[in-house]
Amino acid sequence: MLANLATLALNGLAWGLIVALIALGLSIIFGLLDVINVAHGDLFMVGGVLAWTAVETTGSFAAALVVVPLLGMALGLATERFAIRPILRNPALTIVSTFGLSLILQEAVRATFGPAPRRLMAPLPGTLPVFGTNYEIYRLAAAVAAALALAAFFLFQQRTRFGTWMRAVRHDRETALTLGIPVARVQLLTFALGAALALLGGVIAAPITTVDFRAGVEILPACFMAVVIGGLGNLPGTAAAAVLLAVTEGVVSGLSDPTAARITSLCLMSAVLLLRPQGLFAGAAR
Amino acid sequence: MSTTRRSFLATALAGGAASVMLARDLYAQEGGPIVIGHQVELTGGFASWGYWHDKAAKAAAKLINEGGGIAGRRLDLVTEDTESSPATGARKLRSLIQRNRAAFVTGSVHSGVMLASIPIATELKTVYFSTGEATEATGSRGTRYAFRSGTDTYALAAAGAPWAFNNLGKTWTMIFPDYAWGHSHHQEHKAVIERLGGKVHDPIAVPLDARDLLPYLTRIPQDTEVLFSVFFGAQSVAFYTQAKALGLEKTMRMYSVSGTMEAIAPEDMEGAAEGVVVVENFPRMLRFKDDEFHREHLRIMEVDPVHARETSSRRVYAKSHAWQAWENLFLLKRAIEVSGWRTKRNDPDVIRALEGMEVPNSLAHPQGAKLLRAQDHSGMIDCYISRIESNEYRVKHMVPRAELQAMLPPRVDFTTQAL
Repeated sequence: MLANLATLALNGLAWGLIVALIALGLSIIFGLLDVINVAHGDLFMVGGVLAWTAVETTGSFAAALVVVPLLGMALGLATERFAIRPILRNPALTIVSTFGLSLILQEAVRATFGPAPRRLMAPLPGTLPVFGTNYEIYRLAAAVAAALALAAFFLFQQRTRFGTWMRAVRHDRETALTLGIPVARVQLLTFALGAALALLGGVIAAPITTVDFRAGVEILPACFMAVVIGGLGNLPGTAAAAVLLAVTEGVVSGLSDPTAARITSLCLMSAVLLLRPQGLFAGAAR
Repeated sequence: MSTTRRSFLATALAGGAASVMLARDLYAQEGGPIVIGHQVELTGGFASWGYWHDKAAKAAAKLINEGGGIAGRRLDLVTEDTESSPATGARKLRSLIQRNRAAFVTGSVHSGVMLASIPIATELKTVYFSTGEATEATGSRGTRYAFRSGTDTYALAAAGAPWAFNNLGKTWTMIFPDYAWGHSHHQEHKAVIERLGGKVHDPIAVPLDARDLLPYLTRIPQDTEVLFSVFFGAQSVAFYTQAKALGLEKTMRMYSVSGTMEAIAPEDMEGAAEGVVVVENFPRMLRFKDDEFHREHLRIMEVDPVHARETSSRRVYAKSHAWQAWENLFLLKRAIEVSGWRTKRNDPDVIRALEGMEVPNSLAHPQGAKLLRAQDHSGMIDCYISRIESNEYRVKHMVPRAELQAMLPPRVDFTTQAL
């Protein structure tokens, strides 16, 4: 029983790190642009589809890991420039705009890639005995990759000039503008970075889940829950909440009914909204 | 009686309404086209199936019109997309019947859409063929206007579970998505296995949006001999992939129904589906029902005879379900011609003609000969139990329709309902 719970906790941690990567993108976009990107899950889905295509074309998963996030940045740049910036002053319109983008991405993938789901083989096949269970090696590698990407992002944010600009704009846009920070460029690149994180999450998750045009619809609620529990725009809080949610669901599903695990997550979110509407991790470094 | 302004208006309105109804009826009597609606999932989660339902219905309509139409009248097939949503599907059904004046409707494979549509079709007194599997459509929530030529969860359990019990194992665990379709399969299969003296562990219901299934797979008891799963689409691929990674197939037999891998090629699952046993309604490989009608059907549908893959794309024919979209049009044609139907007023005659209708194996019915049972409006068809070997669906056992019918006593009798 304990071994099973330990496996589920480990798996929750691994899956949570991947979700954290995607949720982080959602959170930085909201934190800087005040845009609730309804298409963020679909960017994750596009990441999976492009990864499958890259592996089919080149036979290399490593190529997908490098190329797909770059394509994500390009997609993010185009989206911010043409679908967000013209209506940035009206948050309600940005929801409509990103919802439209979500439909366009889904239907474009359905029309080209096809509606049937596909499997992407794990680049590291095989299992390791972990707490008495044969645990997939790739899941451990995916968790490490996601953790490295998260660490790289936070380092980038803390140690580079652009990262400092990002924090400044998130803290006070008007003051940042008066200090000469190129706010429009920071917003543009932040959206692109958020999109790249979503596509990178899609690449890493694809061998674990599957690749299909509806994948984004299913991942988005988990990301929103992480953002809400972590605190809107609170980046370390979002990452921590994603891991907390996944570990909680894993452990509770080991102790009782899987549906009870989902109910526990929803109760946790409701409790945070009622008791700490600023987020569970408010006060953590922004 | 003197005419007042109010009585004049009331008479004028009543007269207007009557003339509209009369004109509509006269239009239908003119011997013009017969409109049949097709309510189908062209977009949304069921789009991979909907593509084939749409293609099959259009091909069948073309075949009917090339053969002289229905009772000498052209068939106009009007298609509406449900977007794989029960609310949209219900709205589109009203549109088909009230705006497009569809006299009959061949409907959705999405159980939610199907169950939302039957009350509307009944309210509008329109014959509605559903193609989904929820048993309620021809059971507790069915009506005299609702028909289904294929199988439901009740029939699939009767067709496959006894064979699986005898050949795969006696101790079962069932894992399924946490909604009506999954629970319906669980209840029907549990009843059969327990009746045969088998043991069924507590079910594992998985949230619909779960993609990481490991927390659920680790709950499967070690003594399980048969793991029965009924996932759909991407979740199904995720299930087989993750179960394979854990090596579950080494200690237990994997058993399922065709819906879990419909429109998916085993070769696209890179070996994850190898060894899985499924119940099919129409064998994916031609050689297990090798006749001229099946061959011609595949030629018209433009799919290869081994993997049922479309010749011009990588799509895989949703063969175990989409044949109904084809055959339902021919069932309606036959009923209209046998009953002498001319207008909506003759609908009761069409219903009576459909009840108990037997059709032969033919190009109109390439799945095979079948009976549309009068009492529960359900198709009694041949079923096939296949095992995936070398990425091919190889039939191991055929369940003849007579045998299926004997194991499947009707639970309702719609013929007692007034028309």
